[in-house]
Amino acid sequence: MNGAFSREDIHEMASRWMARPPEASALRIVTDTSDFFRLETGDVLLLGGKPYLMRSSVREARFGLDDEVKHWVKRAIDLVTGQMKIVKLVFYEQFTATIGGIVFECFRSPRKEARILELVNEHPNFMHGLTVPDDHGNLVRVMDYIYGDSLAGRVADIDQDHEAYFFETLPGLMANYLDCVEAVRFLHEHGEKHGDIRRDHILIDADSGHYRWIDFDYNYRHRENIYGYDLFGLGNVLVYMVGKGDVLLPDLRLRDPGVLARLVDEDLNIVFHNRVANLKKVFPYIPDSLNRVLLHFSRGANWFYEHTTQLIQDLQQAVAEIR
Amino acid sequence: METSGEVRFNRNVLLAVDDSENARRAIGYVGFMLGGLEGFRVTLLHVISVPEEDYFARAEEKEKWLDGYRRKIESLLEDYRRELITAGVPDEAVETRLPQRHCPSIAECILLELDRTEYGTIVVGRQGLSRKEEFLFGSVSSKIVGHARNCTVWVVA
Repeated sequence: MNGAFSREDIHEMASRWMARPPEASALRIVTDTSDFFRLETGDVLLLGGKPYLMRSSVREARFGLDDEVKHWVKRAIDLVTGQMKIVKLVFYEQFTATIGGIVFECFRSPRKEARILELVNEHPNFMHGLTVPDDHGNLVRVMDYIYGDSLAGRVADIDQDHEAYFFETLPGLMANYLDCVEAVRFLHEHGEKHGDIRRDHILIDADSGHYRWIDFDYNYRHRENIYGYDLFGLGNVLVYMVGKGDVLLPDLRLRDPGVLARLVDEDLNIVFHNRVANLKKVFPYIPDSLNRVLLHFSRGANWFYEHTTQLIQDLQQAVAEIR
Repeated sequence: METSGEVRFNRNVLLAVDDSENARRAIGYVGFMLGGLEGFRVTLLHVISVPEEDYFARAEEKEKWLDGYRRKIESLLEDYRRELITAGVPDEAVETRLPQRHCPSIAECILLELDRTEYGTIVVGRQGLSRKEEFLFGSVSSKIVGHARNCTVWVVA
């Protein structure tokens, strides 16, 4: 196929995927995505001559809140190959975020994501995709759909007590997590931030088994340490994995008040003061080498990671000890 | 220029400022220390850290942002300059510099200015960051203290 499809061609291709296809003349074929709210389920987006059948918008879980519908991110079917894709439309926004009482400036940039997609084109630990400008020059990103759980979901679904999890399951997870940290180092070495490192932004590819970072369009205005916020995110993911979930003070109060009584302020997460970072006090079999890494993300830390290389060096030793 | 062993001293002072309260304190301190003394030269420096391209939806927004920011800081530096003169630093001994740079690290950009010119002393205000702010975003003054070479650093807290 040369990509020059007639309305009838597109209608025929789209109809295969629709329970009740419209008449060919009624099928909406869109080439300008400037107003992404107007692109609806059942429309066909023609990008670079290639038709994509739009499905539903993607929802993203927010902690403690209802899912957020991301109207600018849609599932789609590549009508040439039949593959599922994620289509991200152009959405610029600037806003101030607050984390642990600290206010900082954030923004969303399609250009950044397009640049990183090109950079990580062959890297196994990132989502892959292409950037295709629409008829009005909007940088639409078309990503391969990754089938698989998020790291957050995988850890949450593990049906083991913590000790069994720690010795039997965590070593495998940690080896993959280390690959993810290496992948972030790769970004940093190329002057890029991930920008939104969270445990649900790592997908475990069901086909390859690779842990893959998604969603690079976020950015923040850094101050002195350009990669500090990324490192904070990496620390949060690590503490979550080692703890088999967030170890929260209210939970300890109910479940293990003896442990709670032994905790001091310095044992808590440096930013989120209701989460425990010094997990050895809760799970005493955690080796010192691993716990020392966790302590770098605690209120008691007197030295912080500034580069992924430092974190990787410490983690390699810690992972070797729990294998 | 005087030397003491390997170290070369001079009376050129680089005062790195922004619009914060701690920068204002640093201005007050330098005025207090150097006011009425001769032989010093003070350069008020503010490095305009140009936001990444991604920060702006369109190129013209960047120019507008830079223009507005530059005007704001020029006015600020003029205020600081007058404050130093009022404190007794001679008019001709105070100058301002407002370079525009892409700065992955503000501290490194400031230290680069130091390398390009002959300053014996660098003065910064301490931001008074909380531990978690320092963890998330880093501290300019801490980095300057850690990385400065062949000069003296005054940190005004």
